[in-house]
Amino acid sequence: MKKKLTVAEDPAEMVPTDSTNEKQDEEAPLKAKRSKPEGADGEEVVYQPVKLSRSDLYRPPTAEELNQLKEAESLFHCSLLKMKMEELLKEVALRERRKQQIDSFIQTITKLLQAVPDSPEVEVSDLSWLSGAVKIPFLLVPKTSKGKFHMAPPASVDLIGSYPLGTCIKPRVMADLAVTIPADILHPKDVINQRYPRKRALYLAGLAQYLTSSSDIGTMRYSCLHGNRLRPVLLLTPPGKDSSSFTVRVHACPPPGFFKPSRFHPQRNNIRTEWYTGLQTSQSESSEPPTPHYNSSVLGDLLPRAHLQFLSAVSSQCSAFADGVALLKVWLRQRELDQGAGCFNGFLASMLLAYLLTTHRISNTMTAYQLLRNSLNFLASTDLTVNGISLAKDPDSTAPSLAEFHSAFQVVFVDPSGHLNMCADMTACTYKQLQHEASVSIQFWDNPTVDGFHALLMTPKPMIRTSDHVFQLCDLVKLQFSCKKLNLLSELMDHSGNYVQTVLPFILSLLQQGLGQRICLLTHSLSPDPEWSVESEAPKYKAQPPLSFGLLLRPELAASVLERGPPADSPKAAEFRQLWGFRSELRRFQDGAITEAVLWDGKSTCQKRLVPRQIITHLLQLHAALPDSCVRYVAAMVDDVIQIGNEVPSTGEEESLLVVQSYDDLSRKLWRLEGLPLSITSVQGAHPALRYTQVFPPQPLKLDYSFFDREKTQRSLVPKDGKPCPAYITPITVICHMEGSGKWPHDRLAIRHIRTAFHIKLGELLKKHHNYTCRPSPTHLDVWKDGLVFRIQVAYHREPQVLRESVNAEGLLVVRDNEEAQALEMATIHKPLLTSTLHGLQQQHPCFGAVCRLAKRWLGAQLFSEDITEDTADLLVASLFLQPAPFTPPGSPQVGFLRFLHLLSSFDWRNNPLIVNLNNHLTAADYTEIKNDFMASRESLPVMFIATPKDKKLSMWTKRAPCVQMLQRVVVVAAESLKVVERQLMDGTQMQDVRVAMRPPLDAYDVLIHLNPKQVPLLSQAVDPPTVTFSRGVVTSGLAQSGGALPVIDYNPVSLYLTELREAFGDLALFFCDPYGGTVIAVLWKPKAFIPAPFKTSQVSARRVEVRGEEVNTVPNVEAILEDFQVMGQGLVKSIEARTEKWSF
Amino acid sequence: MAPSKKKHASNQPCIIPGGFTVLSLQFSSDSVSQHKLYVKEHRVRTEKSSHRPLDRTLFVLNIPPYCSVAVVKDLFSQFGSVQSVELRDHPGSFKDSEPKLSKFFKPAEKQGFKVGYIVFQNSTSITAAKSHPHDAPLVVCTEQHPVKTGVEKWIQQYTESFVQPEKLQKLVDYFMEDYDKQKEEEAERQKKEAEQQQEDEEGWVTVSRGQKGTKARPHSEAANRRTLQKELKKKKRKELMNFYTWQHKNTQKEHIAELRKKFEEDKQRIALLRAQRKFKPY
Repeated sequence: MKKKLTVAEDPAEMVPTDSTNEKQDEEAPLKAKRSKPEGADGEEVVYQPVKLSRSDLYRPPTAEELNQLKEAESLFHCSLLKMKMEELLKEVALRERRKQQIDSFIQTITKLLQAVPDSPEVEVSDLSWLSGAVKIPFLLVPKTSKGKFHMAPPASVDLIGSYPLGTCIKPRVMADLAVTIPADILHPKDVINQRYPRKRALYLAGLAQYLTSSSDIGTMRYSCLHGNRLRPVLLLTPPGKDSSSFTVRVHACPPPGFFKPSRFHPQRNNIRTEWYTGLQTSQSESSEPPTPHYNSSVLGDLLPRAHLQFLSAVSSQCSAFADGVALLKVWLRQRELDQGAGCFNGFLASMLLAYLLTTHRISNTMTAYQLLRNSLNFLASTDLTVNGISLAKDPDSTAPSLAEFHSAFQVVFVDPSGHLNMCADMTACTYKQLQHEASVSIQFWDNPTVDGFHALLMTPKPMIRTSDHVFQLCDLVKLQFSCKKLNLLSELMDHSGNYVQTVLPFILSLLQQGLGQRICLLTHSLSPDPEWSVESEAPKYKAQPPLSFGLLLRPELAASVLERGPPADSPKAAEFRQLWGFRSELRRFQDGAITEAVLWDGKSTCQKRLVPRQIITHLLQLHAALPDSCVRYVAAMVDDVIQIGNEVPSTGEEESLLVVQSYDDLSRKLWRLEGLPLSITSVQGAHPALRYTQVFPPQPLKLDYSFFDREKTQRSLVPKDGKPCPAYITPITVICHMEGSGKWPHDRLAIRHIRTAFHIKLGELLKKHHNYTCRPSPTHLDVWKDGLVFRIQVAYHREPQVLRESVNAEGLLVVRDNEEAQALEMATIHKPLLTSTLHGLQQQHPCFGAVCRLAKRWLGAQLFSEDITEDTADLLVASLFLQPAPFTPPGSPQVGFLRFLHLLSSFDWRNNPLIVNLNNHLTAADYTEIKNDFMASRESLPVMFIATPKDKKLSMWTKRAPCVQMLQRVVVVAAESLKVVERQLMDGTQMQDVRVAMRPPLDAYDVLIHLNPKQVPLLSQAVDPPTVTFSRGVVTSGLAQSGGALPVIDYNPVSLYLTELREAFGDLALFFCDPYGGTVIAVLWKPKAFIPAPFKTSQVSARRVEVRGEEVNTVPNVEAILEDFQVMGQGLVKSIEARTEKWSF
Repeated sequence: MAPSKKKHASNQPCIIPGGFTVLSLQFSSDSVSQHKLYVKEHRVRTEKSSHRPLDRTLFVLNIPPYCSVAVVKDLFSQFGSVQSVELRDHPGSFKDSEPKLSKFFKPAEKQGFKVGYIVFQNSTSITAAKSHPHDAPLVVCTEQHPVKTGVEKWIQQYTESFVQPEKLQKLVDYFMEDYDKQKEEEAERQKKEAEQQQEDEEGWVTVSRGQKGTKARPHSEAANRRTLQKELKKKKRKELMNFYTWQHKNTQKEHIAELRKKFEEDKQRIALLRAQRKFKPY
């Protein structure tokens, strides 16, 4: 048996590596067979338990089938991954039909190009031969240029790049066409002073001018290769409806070997200062600054054919090469690393694989999956910014050494010729980002509890959702001043005037230095390749979209207000002072040290969170002459919807802490109480405020007694009729377990009474020892303490068991689960446990609470809080922190909120359970078990299935809600909100109001009940707080006290009204309301209830009869119901808006 | 309104098939719309309870949530004096299993539409109610008997929810005394039964079937199950597995069938994912 298994394993591993035709033939029919049944059930998207007929199941197996089954059994996960990869590759690969289209289009173009007519020779600076319809794709700065130019048919037209190599993938299909400029147009000295690049641009313009007259070409645009303005390209699309399906990119190249590669040594100068500045200088050629970037961009034009040959040779050795490159490209694309200036593009990906293959780090027989894995591993472990790599086997003597490359470039990856650094434009930060992504990906892949395939290849990672803080440099033209300030003339010459690319590395290193330990990664967006029509001038550098920078924070250090420098007398102090400028000052610390230090402003957590912003704006202003207005800091922009506090803006961290401290004090006092008949075994909080996730944490209140009526017997406060509804006081639930004892009765009613007795006793003791005002009732004890109300519930651990037991007719003691027992267990066991667990999570991740609050604020505002309850929302957010793949745990509330919306909108609830591994209690085996159980009984489980270590099979938090329809709506609204918020955050030109995502669309509802704001106690928490405010019996000055009359607790007319409405009309309609200050109740009729139903005594509530002969049907009595809305909400309801025009009955 | 209503001349009761009379009810005199109550004499073959005498009980459907027992009593006293009113969520037989509890210990009642059983003093009242004209609505809230709803009602509820701790303590004490007494009686009874089974002076033991719950074996479901499992285990131990060739073949066959099923399931899972286009990366 053992031996058989290993034998079966081998072919599975080898299938893709074995490239003989025979093997492929064998696989083809197998695939066909597999796809057959799928065609039949292609439409239905429901998972149904497989039903095989008896004869199918028990027919004698053939040897081949037996092997296949064994393989599937032993390699299930491996083969599932294999199947997934195959499917993914199928999705991105070019179809045969598309290839034919491309081939034929390329043929037409080639034919056209070969017929380009000659033109008379003119000076390079003379552009008169170009008709007005076509412009030269080049920024002619400085204007003067020497040399002659004339048009001539190309020496040759060849396919280069990914298309002939077979590594071209969807989307953005590009076929590259190299057009060789005839040698007589060029001059060997043309490398100097941009003469060659200008001739190249002219040649392209000439081609474009000729092609405009052709009808075989759809659209024609200019672009430039990887944002490098020295290398413009011509983009051609086919005419007709295929125009968007692929693009042909025309490069102009010099004839191979036309320039000597040694001229492009990174230490050589090819742009003269005199020419560039237009000023007479006395510099000799040897003292001119080197121009490595210019050199490499010209050299890059010489080599594409050689590179293609090299890559084709490598790929013919390794059968999975193309697939491996495709996977790597998908991986890069999901991380936005494959496009723009200084990107790690598909070409580099192929070269990397080629490097790994030629250095035998990976073998030719590996599968695509293994290629991807190994290249990620290599990227994660190799730092190309320090130890560059080279593909050159035996470079000639003129080739520069690696050290020379390193001194000129930040990232070094040398091509097979040994002369070109293919990563010339890449910044160290981009490479570090790549490295970070690779190492994180490898970690996720090694973690058996993460769906690596989905996290690595299927999930996009846009910067706004990846980085904790994001900021943008808006006014790019201001970067010219930075160039001056930083004295970057020679670098600017090297980058041919591209001041953005010139300044970028300096800004990056400045920020890296200033932010230091606060961040673990600094990333920046890659400026996208500009595209413009052939009729317009090349766009200026300032026209490109703003540069975005992303920070990945270290949560424990990022918010520190103190930057402690070296001691005043140490030599490093000067450096520190230089960096921080006037903000640096000498400070004496408690340990006696006198050091240089910078102190940033920030009192509350929400202000401290923005310390990086202060640092960035200060440094940019000081060193790069970039004013405040240039920096658009995108963090904490959505936070103000949960902002409270009048003097110091706060997002609730401080308030929550106050509640928790008060609770800790109460719990200590409860433990110390003496004189109770049974001792207390545990005191646990069971309220979101005690785990920092209450949207608006309760604030200590001081009351204005004259505002209230008094209750006669106890002198407690009660709301006064006619006055605005008093401020809402949230009772904070605390569960207090009592010791088990034989004295507890074994009867549900008796237990209820004993608990009441405990409430009374606890109240008496708290009053006696601590003078707290208490109010005992059968279900709980309210304690008025520090301006807060705690609701203590005594619990007895055997009570759920007692509720489950009953004696049936035969006198048999049966144990039956029931809702009452479940609800009690939920309240006394699961909720306290969840609260303490999440409290722990908050200690690990300081922004957990804030993310929960933002998420719940959004749910409330979009009227979903009834369906996705507080506990569910907290669990969803917890999953973002516990299983962040492919991200790292959120480091700011905003990014957490965006990921929450993304989770809601993209998670496949139908086919997957969401597993929240609280406290890391679940092992990989548990995960499999949960998934298997889930698949086996999907239909009977809640639509939103959340498993936790204590609840692997039932998903108790989502059992009641949401239903399928509501979940669908949540998904749609979340996707839309995410889109809106991200667009607003990343696009500075748009109207800035992120609250748009918090305003629910009300046009979908049938009836709107408008409430009287006077009676809505939480009015000030509304998304758009109204300008009018009402006195609600609260004194703002003075400290909150503990004794005195009991305030009005838990009195909220809106929720009372909603309860009544739901109880009365729950089977006819759904009621939605924003619990945080909503002044509208939206009503949606249930369509089913409006179908006339036969008269039944059990179903006549709020219905009227329609008699037709002997048939009696009932329909809802809508007029009366609408009037009931008014009657039941007397005093609260302002108006009722019935949108009759929408009703379809 | 439905066209069928118009057929009835005014001052006529409206009777729908099924024997229910339709009564109109509106909240106050200036209300524009009306709820319909459906009333019928209470007639159930198996009614045993004396709380709902067959000849004097009116069965009312669709009582709106703002009508409390007092309001209903008030509304229907125009047909004759009302003896008692019982409001329930669903129609059903009378239940009196719950012991008498003070209102503070009762679970909160649902405030939805109710069905009512109204017991009149006189059986003639039923006929009066049933012949009440359809277009003369009952009015809930009148000047004499105002009914509080909305904010006023909630404030009242809040005020009434207060109870003095001393009073609450007294309620608890009463209940627990009762409970202890019951327990004691129970214990007494059990003790007596046990005594009966003891030898008497002359050495005779009275053997009787005895009361339920005094058997030697623990009488609970869990215990029953445990015994059953024990038996099964015993049986299994005696059985021979894979002894005969056919048994061996059968297990192998089952194993292969299991594998096939799993394989099919996996295939279907993949097909499903593919059908949902779950492999499109962007």
